[in-house]
Amino acid sequence: MLQIGLVFGVCLLGQIVSVLLPVPIPGSVISMVLLFLLLFFKAVHVDRIRQKADFLLKNMAFFFVPAGVGIISQFSEIRAHLLALLGVVVLTTFFTFGSTALTVRGVMKLQELGRSRKRKPRPLA
Amino acid sequence: MNEVFSSPFFGITLSILTFEIGIWLEKKTKLAIANPLLIAVVLCIAVLELFHIPLASFDEGGSVISVFLGPATAVLALSIYTQLSRLKKYFLPVLAGTVVGSLVSVGSAYLLSRWFGLDQVLTDSLLVKSVSTPFALAISPNIGGIPAVTVAAVVLTGILGAVWAPLMLKLFRVRDPVVAGVAIGTSSHAVGTSKAITLGEVEGAMSGIALAMAGLITVLISLFLAHPGR
Repeated sequence: MLQIGLVFGVCLLGQIVSVLLPVPIPGSVISMVLLFLLLFFKAVHVDRIRQKADFLLKNMAFFFVPAGVGIISQFSEIRAHLLALLGVVVLTTFFTFGSTALTVRGVMKLQELGRSRKRKPRPLA
Repeated sequence: MNEVFSSPFFGITLSILTFEIGIWLEKKTKLAIANPLLIAVVLCIAVLELFHIPLASFDEGGSVISVFLGPATAVLALSIYTQLSRLKKYFLPVLAGTVVGSLVSVGSAYLLSRWFGLDQVLTDSLLVKSVSTPFALAISPNIGGIPAVTVAAVVLTGILGAVWAPLMLKLFRVRDPVVAGVAIGTSSHAVGTSKAITLGEVEGAMSGIALAMAGLITVLISLFLAHPGR
């Protein structure tokens, strides 16, 4: 009970900070940062929230079911352009995924190249 | 009968039942399209339509489930914390990936919307579709989009990302869990992340970081998209 209270408390705090900030950052993302800081500075020990965190993470997909079902309330607004909309969604997701994957992989390789060069002794610039 | 449907237990039970059917189908068929989230959403909508149950009744229970989205996102902090050494090592590639991915997402959404002949307002509604709903909802009206259309596009993107992730990983020959996580989180936010978690802890943690970073970067990009005079 204390575990779940701690997580919900952090979420409440995140919500408060989100409302106070001038830039749009969702409360859940701020809560994630806050919880990370609590863990990082050992204010909260990992074991104290591990159990509830595992429950939440394991069932995360399930928590999205009502949000997905909610699409039907927007159906009247999108039905006229449904095909074009789906086309945009499918293709942009594909491009975004591909460009991200290739960039991460490319920069990783550059980094490794840089690291292997550093290992050779050379005068400091 | 209406009292039964507007009881919170109806929405909760229907969601759990349909999701369990989805899990069963996923195990049975091992097909990517048999994604529990996708199947649950489709079955729930079918039941509501078939029995003429208003969405508001379903949401009595649905909103109870949605409450857990915030905490579920927050506890990604735990995965990130346990993967801290990996994140430190790969901070630069992760940052570069989320920046490039977010730019490609907004850019391709603009070009494709135009290509498919969508008008300015619909185009503006789709620009920020790759970030999770709270981010997108905060940005969309500022750049001239219709929030309802944005929400629909965000949710569709997320579900598509979750369903497609295994296929795209194969297509782009991604084997590194860091690359996989960042690509999933950047292209399909928190819904995609829920799939990344099932692939492994590294994938989940990286996807969590990517969804937060892509969201922040997209907020920054949107500052340049605001139409003067609107």
